[in-house]
Amino acid sequence: MRVMKIFACMNCDYHSVTSKYTCPKCQQGKLQETEVSPKGTVYSFTDIHVAPAEFAHIAPYTVALIQLDEAPVKVTARMDSEVTIGDAVELKGLEEGAFIYTKAN
Amino acid sequence: MTNVYVHGVGMTQFGTFVDRTMKDLLLDACIQALNEAGNPKVDAVYVGNFMGGSIYNQEILGAIVANELGLGFIPTAKVEGACASGGIAVRQGVLGIQSGEYETVLVAGVEKMKHASTADVTQAINAAMDNDSNEKRAGLTFPGFFGVLANRYFYETGASKKHLAMVALKNRENAMQNPLAQFRKPATLEEIMEARMITNPLGLFDCSPMTDGAAAIVLSSKKSPVHVRSSAQSSGPTQMQDADDLLSIPAIKESGRLAYEKAGVGPEDIDVVEIHDCFSMTEMLAIEELGFFAKREGWKAIEEGRTKVIGDKPVNTSGGLLSRGHPIGATGISQLYQLVHQLRGTAPNQVEGNPRLALAQNLGGTGSYSVVHILERV
Repeated sequence: MRVMKIFACMNCDYHSVTSKYTCPKCQQGKLQETEVSPKGTVYSFTDIHVAPAEFAHIAPYTVALIQLDEAPVKVTARMDSEVTIGDAVELKGLEEGAFIYTKAN
Repeated sequence: MTNVYVHGVGMTQFGTFVDRTMKDLLLDACIQALNEAGNPKVDAVYVGNFMGGSIYNQEILGAIVANELGLGFIPTAKVEGACASGGIAVRQGVLGIQSGEYETVLVAGVEKMKHASTADVTQAINAAMDNDSNEKRAGLTFPGFFGVLANRYFYETGASKKHLAMVALKNRENAMQNPLAQFRKPATLEEIMEARMITNPLGLFDCSPMTDGAAAIVLSSKKSPVHVRSSAQSSGPTQMQDADDLLSIPAIKESGRLAYEKAGVGPEDIDVVEIHDCFSMTEMLAIEELGFFAKREGWKAIEEGRTKVIGDKPVNTSGGLLSRGHPIGATGISQLYQLVHQLRGTAPNQVEGNPRLALAQNLGGTGSYSVVHILERV
C-alpha cells in the first residue's frame, strides 16, 4: 500500500486516522478525507506477552504508535518485528483490518 | 442544591471466591452498608457492574438487590462504564438525590472474575475498547496501551521501570495493613522488577489483578458526618491513536478540574486520595492530571515518597487496584469505602492529622470515562 487515508478538519488544524462526524477540536468543521504517505517513525511501542484469546496464537507481538511523516497523525499498528522509539517504519500491508508495519530499510 | 451525605459503607473481602456467587457477594456488601446506615427506607438502587453478562451470564442486578433485600418495588438499574462502572453508579445516585427525586439511594458494585480463564477475562475486558477500529485489530490491549504510554513516559522523562515498581511496592505495603485487600504478602522492589513481563515495560506487579468482590454505599440528603462535596464525570478518546498528547488522559484531568470547581477547592486542599491505579503507570500519570504534581514529574514525587501514607499527598492507602484488588464494578465504590473510613479516622493506614477532604478517581477504558468524587468530613 502506497497511501494512508487520513481525515483533516476543513475548519481547523485537526487531523486523525479515524473519521469523526464533527471535528472534536473546533466542534464546527467537518472532516475531509485525504491521502498521505504511510511512512513514519515509532512514537512508542510495547511487546504484548499476555494476549486476549483471539491473539494468543501470535503472542508475543509488538504494537506501535506510529507518527506519520507527512501529517500530524498517529496510527496504531502491529509490527512484524521488535522496534524502539525513533525507528523509521513503513506499511507492509493490511491484515484483517490491522495495519502491519515493518522497519524501513 | 440538595446536599448528599454518606450514611453507610460496606465491602466484602477482595480476592478469589469461586465458591461464592455474585448475588452472595453483592448482598453481603449491601447489607453491611444498610446496617451501618440504620436500615433506612431506600428509594432507588444503582449497581455498578461490567461483565456480569459476558462472563457470568447475570444481569438485572438492580432488581435482584431490591427483591432479595425486600426494598419494595423501587426503581433500580445496572450501570456500565467499564472499570468506572462503580464510580458512575455512585454519581447516578448523587444526581438522583440532588434532583429531588430520591431521599436515600443504595449504590453497590460487584464483579466475579476468578471463575474464568485469564484469556477469556482479557477478551471480555477488551469490550471496553473500540472494537470496530484498526487499533483493536492490531492486537492492542489495556495493559498494551499503558505499556506504550510507559515507554514514551520513560523516553521523555527521567523515569524508569524502577519508578513503576515503587508505585507497586507502595500499594502492596498499604494492602498488607488492609484486612480486606486481595494481596497481603510482602514483596520486594527486586521481585517486582524481575517479575514476568506482561506488556513491556509492565510486569506482573504493574498490572491490576482479576478479583472477586463487592462494595456498597448508602447516600442520602439527610445529614451525616461525611458530605459528598462534589461529583464530576468526563469522557475522553476511546482510541490511543486519537490522543492529542499520549502522556495525558484528558478524562482524568477534566473530571478532576470539574470536581475541584464544584467543590470550590484545589488539589492542594486534598488530604487523602484513592486513584485508579489499574497499572502502576496509570497512578504516575493520574497524580499529574489531578494537579497534585507537575506534568512529567509524577515519578519524582514517587521517588521522594510523597504519595506514601506518611507523605504529604497519601495515594491509595487501601492498596489501590494493584493490591487491594480490582473487581471491576466494585472498584469505584471500594475507593469511597476506604476514604469514608479515612475521614472517620478508622481506616487501615490511617492518615494522621484528621483528614478533612478526600478525593476518589475512577477510570474506565483507556481513558474513555473518568469520575471524581470529593468527600468532606463535616
